[in-house]
Formats: sequence, C-alpha cells, structure tokens
Amino acid sequence: MKRALTQSLAAWLEGGRTRIGQVAILKTADGFELRHADDFSRADLVKAEGADAARHLANLDDAEAYRPLKTAPNLRHGWRLTLRDVDELRRALDYFYPAMTALFLSQTNGVLHAVPFRETLNRQTGMYRVTQKITDEQARTMIDSFCAGCLKCRLWDGQASPDEADRIPLLCQEACNLLVAEARKVVKAEPAPS
Amino acid sequence: MFSKPDSALIIVGHGSTVNPDSSAPTFDHAEEILRRGVFGEVHCAFWKEEPSLRQVLHMVDREDIYVVPNFISEGYFTRTVIPRELELEGAITRRGGRTIKYCEPAGNHARMTDLLLHRAAHVAPGVPPAETSLFIVGHGTNLNDNSAAAAKREVERIRERGLYGEVLSAYMEEEPLIAKWDELSTKPNVVVVPFFIADGLHSYEDIPVLLGIAEESPGAASVNAMDVFRRNPYRLRGRTLFYASAIGTEALFAEIMLDQVAAFDAEHAA
Repeated sequence: MKRALTQSLAAWLEGGRTRIGQVAILKTADGFELRHADDFSRADLVKAEGADAARHLANLDDAEAYRPLKTAPNLRHGWRLTLRDVDELRRALDYFYPAMTALFLSQTNGVLHAVPFRETLNRQTGMYRVTQKITDEQARTMIDSFCAGCLKCRLWDGQASPDEADRIPLLCQEACNLLVAEARKVVKAEPAPS
Repeated sequence: MFSKPDSALIIVGHGSTVNPDSSAPTFDHAEEILRRGVFGEVHCAFWKEEPSLRQVLHMVDREDIYVVPNFISEGYFTRTVIPRELELEGAITRRGGRTIKYCEPAGNHARMTDLLLHRAAHVAPGVPPAETSLFIVGHGTNLNDNSAAAAKREVERIRERGLYGEVLSAYMEEEPLIAKWDELSTKPNVVVVPFFIADGLHSYEDIPVLLGIAEESPGAASVNAMDVFRRNPYRLRGRTLFYASAIGTEALFAEIMLDQVAAFDAEHAA
C-alpha cells in the first residue's frame, strides 16, 4: 500500500484531531501554529519559526534539562511555533513526538504490529542480552513504574488504543530502548534465582 | 550531485539518553540534505533516542530507501545492531514492496581524509603544516569497535599526502595515549582533531583534561562546554596547541552521507 503521511495528517486535522500529546495544533491564515496545550490562552509566548526550531523546543524541559524521552509529560512551556504548511507540520511533529504520526497511520492501515516484551528482550545482544533474565514479576513492577512517566499507550502491554476524536494518539508498539536499559539495571541489581 | 526524489534517506545515529549533543550532528546533516532537495524524504533514527530503529520505517512514504549509518567505523552497531533492528538481510533487503539499501558507515568513506585535513586547516589558520604535528584522536578499547583501526587508517592516508610535519594517532584509553601528546610529537605546533561522530563529554572535557587545557568539572558538561574550542591557541608545555571539535560536527559530513549513497549505487549497479 502506498503511504502518504502528509496527506493523512491533513485529513486528521480536517477531521478535528488538533492535539497530539501536550501539543495543540492551531490552523492559522498562513499555515499552522503549535503551542503547549497549557499555553493555549497565553499572550506572552516566545515566537519560533519553522520545523527545525521544533527540535530545540523539544530537547529541553522547563528546567533546561534534556528530555531523552519525547513522550514524557514534561514538554517545555512558553513558546509558539509557526509553520507554513502541512509538510513543515509533519516534520515539526516528528521532533516533538518522533514517529508518532507515522505509527498512527500504520495502525489505521492495519500494519502496526505490537511486539511482546519477551520478544524484544530475546532479540537483544551484547550488554543487553542479560535483560532476558528478568522475571515476569520484576518486569511487571518495572513497567508499571518506569512507563508511568510516558504518555504513550502500550499496545505491546495489552493497553487498548485510546479513542479520543480530537487527538492523534501516541502509540507504543514495542518496548523502547530506555525500558530495555532499565531492565538491564533491574537484572544487574537483583539477579533472579538460577 | 544526483537527485532521488522518489527515494528516502534514513541516517542512523547512536543517540544518547544523557545529552542532546550526541544526536545533534545527525539531525543537522539530515536537515542539510533535506534542504538540498536531493531525496524525497530524509529521516533520522537512533539506538538510544527516538525515532528508534524499530519505528523509523513506519515514517517513510517512499519504497526505495537508503540507510546510511552515521558512525565513524564498521563495528558492532553497523554489523549487528542496525541490521537486526531494521531486519535487514544484507546490502539489499526487499520486503513488502520496499527496497532497503544498506550503505557503509559515513566514516568509512575515502573523503573522510579530506574532511580531517579541512578541519585541521580550519582550526589552525595560517599555521604552516610542515611545522605542525597533527593528532587524530580515537576512543580506543571499545568492544567490537574498529574506530581505533579507522583512526590509524586515516593517519596513514594523511601521511601519504606529505602535508604535515608529523601525523599521529592517539587514544583516550589505550597507547599511544593522547595525554602524552607532548612526548609523542616534536613539532612546535600541535593540532588535535577528535575522530568522533559528535561532541560530548569526550570532546568537551575528557580529551581537554588529558591534553592539559581544561580542568575536570564536578558535574555534567556545562553550558559553556563549547568554549574549549574557542580558546585556541593554547600555549603549554612549550608548544602551541589547537584543539578542534569532533569531526562528525563538520558540515561537510552531509556530503559524505551522499557520497556513501553514490558509492552504494556504483557498487550495486545492475
């Protein structure tokens, strides 16, 4: 099937999906404007322009700390980003929420397959091979705690895809490398009985 | 230069969970290539950041896809991790109507030598190369990593050009140690170019501390980390030392990515 993500994004916006994660998408006379959803009514926002600026807005939180996980609920406030067309919007959203519009399109097309956690771990090599030793109980505790700091819906963990008509959902089809790295810490700290 | 409006380019970087500097050059090169309009689409993917290698193929609309690893050398990531995560079957993978073409890492290209020379000349303008010792600094001791071998290879190639009075490889964690730069070299001027894909703690602090041009800082790299590249030249141990930022931050790196695509096409021409 031919993919056309930019056109799909335009159609979603037309259909009222004007929010993704903590970002609100506004249609303007000459393109689009993004802001933190909390800043919807603020008049004192610092203006930024173009998709490339999104990378820098997405990189640091309000305390100027690096955000390795872009779907953590700590997007910085105080900015508005103007974009001239849907192409730029697509690129900007890929900085704010990498791959999230793409995964939604794949889900819509029926080609997004959730990968079970064990399958992800069993694929690991090198320093992460040890993660295969995590017990189901350890994994459950870790996932509940670690993933609580992420806005994505864990399709691989049995969570149902959210059905919010005004949003582009944040989908997680497979455990991320942050979680795999966390699993390594858990196994190293508390080896399972052999 | 070629034009591939019906193809997509994916640049793969390592990325970091600790600071944004690791992925910055990969994003910079992708933005530059996108601006040039060479490819219909340009995306990045990372091992330690998002989009991940498991996500990125969903982002691509086009069916003809080139993958260029933004790594300094062949090694564990280019041979094991990237093929595994992208489910590649070799140089060319055909799957679901798509053709995925796996190019060699950026650092492997023969033009890397030109880039190192360009960076060395740029950091020490007006300094005669014949009276200069040029150091190419690698990490060393990395498991399954050929970056030390790659640094040695570049040193050989630069030596063959006969421009610099002396060309040497040195490492942070194995002999010859960069910390002994003044013993290893003999020329009055010394130029040091880190052979890394991105700036980070190694280039901001570790190497400067080993060189003796910076003090170890108590915490993470400060916001003024870039200052270490702006204070050239350093006069110490009876020499004049010029310190460059990581070679991967060089803007011309974007051209090396495109060169690797062209090299792939040349090698796999029907």
